[in-house]
Amino acid sequence: MLTDREILSTLEMLRNEHLDVRTVTLGISLFDCADQDHERFMQRIHDKICRMARDLVKVCDEVGMQYGIPVVNKRIAVSPVAVAACAFSASQMVAIARTMDETARATGVDFIGGFGALVEKGMTHGDRALIEAIPEALAGTERVCSSVNVASTNAGINMDAVYLMGKTIKHAAELTAGSDGLACTKLCVFANIPPDIPFMAGAYLGVGEPDAVINVGVSGPGVVKKAIDRLRSANPAADLGQLSEIIKRTAFKVTRVGELIGRQVAGKLRVPFGVVDLSLAPTPNVGDSVGEIFQSLGLKAIGTPGSTAVLALLNDAVKKGGIFASSYVGGLSGAFIPVSEDLNIGEAARQGYLSLEKLEALTSVCSVGLDMVVLPGETSAETLAAIIADEMAIGMINNKATAARLIPVPGKKPGEKAFFGGLLGEATIIPVSTQGGADTFIRLGGRIPAPVQSFGN
Amino acid sequence: MKKMVISVLGCDRPGIIAAVSKTLSENRCNIEDVSQTTLQTEFVGIFIATIPERLGEDELLEKLQEPLSPMGLSVLVKPLQESGEWQPPDSEPFVITTLGPDRLGLVAGITEVLAQSGINITGLRAIFRGGNDPRRNVMIYEVDIPTAINRSAFRTALYRRAEELELDISLQHRDIFETIHRV
Repeated sequence: MLTDREILSTLEMLRNEHLDVRTVTLGISLFDCADQDHERFMQRIHDKICRMARDLVKVCDEVGMQYGIPVVNKRIAVSPVAVAACAFSASQMVAIARTMDETARATGVDFIGGFGALVEKGMTHGDRALIEAIPEALAGTERVCSSVNVASTNAGINMDAVYLMGKTIKHAAELTAGSDGLACTKLCVFANIPPDIPFMAGAYLGVGEPDAVINVGVSGPGVVKKAIDRLRSANPAADLGQLSEIIKRTAFKVTRVGELIGRQVAGKLRVPFGVVDLSLAPTPNVGDSVGEIFQSLGLKAIGTPGSTAVLALLNDAVKKGGIFASSYVGGLSGAFIPVSEDLNIGEAARQGYLSLEKLEALTSVCSVGLDMVVLPGETSAETLAAIIADEMAIGMINNKATAARLIPVPGKKPGEKAFFGGLLGEATIIPVSTQGGADTFIRLGGRIPAPVQSFGN
Repeated sequence: MKKMVISVLGCDRPGIIAAVSKTLSENRCNIEDVSQTTLQTEFVGIFIATIPERLGEDELLEKLQEPLSPMGLSVLVKPLQESGEWQPPDSEPFVITTLGPDRLGLVAGITEVLAQSGINITGLRAIFRGGNDPRRNVMIYEVDIPTAINRSAFRTALYRRAEELELDISLQHRDIFETIHRV
């Protein structure tokens, strides 16, 4: 017999605390679609993606209904297109992105990731063509996401690629000036990109992965916040050790949900189950915010002194609870701090508690990086590249994934708002200090060598 | 040896199980299963015991009534039917939970839909304390849903009935609760 408490507390998490599975992402390899003929390649990827993902949305909805746990997003991640389509030109890459967009519509998923490249140590013809295609590809499609890995602990930082990505972001923003640079919300620049991320915009299917695989991204910042609030209300003397314990236990529960749903979906689709990504992923809804957790732990807002310590505690407790709950953990696994996608974090930025510099400090202990950070339109490609380089350095030295999803909003200044809609949310533009101060450094180019941390053998 | 079912009902107090089990033991009756529950002030216990062939149903009832009647407890004794007429079909375990203001006919309304679909209830707790606080008016049914029935039609019928009864209802596979709460 189940206990009343087990049943009612589960319902409480579902009804009032936004417990859900944030994303079930089907990874599909495109390597067996490789062809020298561009039309034939596009036909092959179209057919394969549509065939493999035909029942994804239906099965996710059925499984979600069976357990009473909504699967909010269903997504597809494919092999890095720069590898699978290495022989093609930039304009052909744009056409491939359109084909991917069509498959996303046909299968009913909200995003398809993998229009990306892995260039941490250098670039092939395909990598260059793909990066050149990114602005037009993302501006001309609705559901395609792109990620480019420009650094790793083992390879160092490809500064030529960093500069190129600064220019690419700038160009993508200009092409979507009418929608506040929307294309940039679908583009992540990574260090140490994991091969099995289910979350967008970073999701792609790594080179060593199976032909098809289900990866799951859990959510649950609302559940964690309420658990902290309940403990503090029941025991006002609870210290950070006890609070860390309650976060750990809550992360365990949230992860178990993801594992169960993921395995059921994988079983019904007859593809292997990959990993659970233990991330606290917020949405722009009240009560589904990572930023609110900082307030529950006693800070005035995320960004005030103490925030980095809180995030370190939070991230670690989430991992400890989640790792025990799942047999395979992967992806980014930690707390996300996307500025525009989290109402509370967006508000902290608007009120000036959260600066670019503090965000960067936070990313040294969180799972992602400078995520959905909205910058003035006048920010130069060189400054964007320098911000990316800083973020990549944090990832490289700390042997962790970091990313930059930066949106320089054309024509807008600090304090003005950018609107992206839906899950992407809205945010106030934060100032970038010493604009242009890094131009000479960025133009030096080359590759920052791999750090001493990489020599573990 | 034969198996008997003994049920005892009455106002809860210390010593009920002790009195029943002492009488059973003195008469060489071996308890195989026992379960008890209390609702508000009322106790109910159900025992399944093997009893000697020579001991009749009426005789056992008399022997139990001797200590239990003075305690204000009612006793029922009947032979155990080894296999019931109803055989459970292949099914999957689900949990139905309702929250909503108390009114007449809630249990009847929900269970009618279950019965119509041939769904067996394996566990039921319901608390109605009146008022509008949903947490004070809760029904939790553990049910076995036969795999052969049209689950989507059943879900639609159940949710429609809940709407008529102004109940907030959920129907979830039992595994989700075990997965979340149990290691």
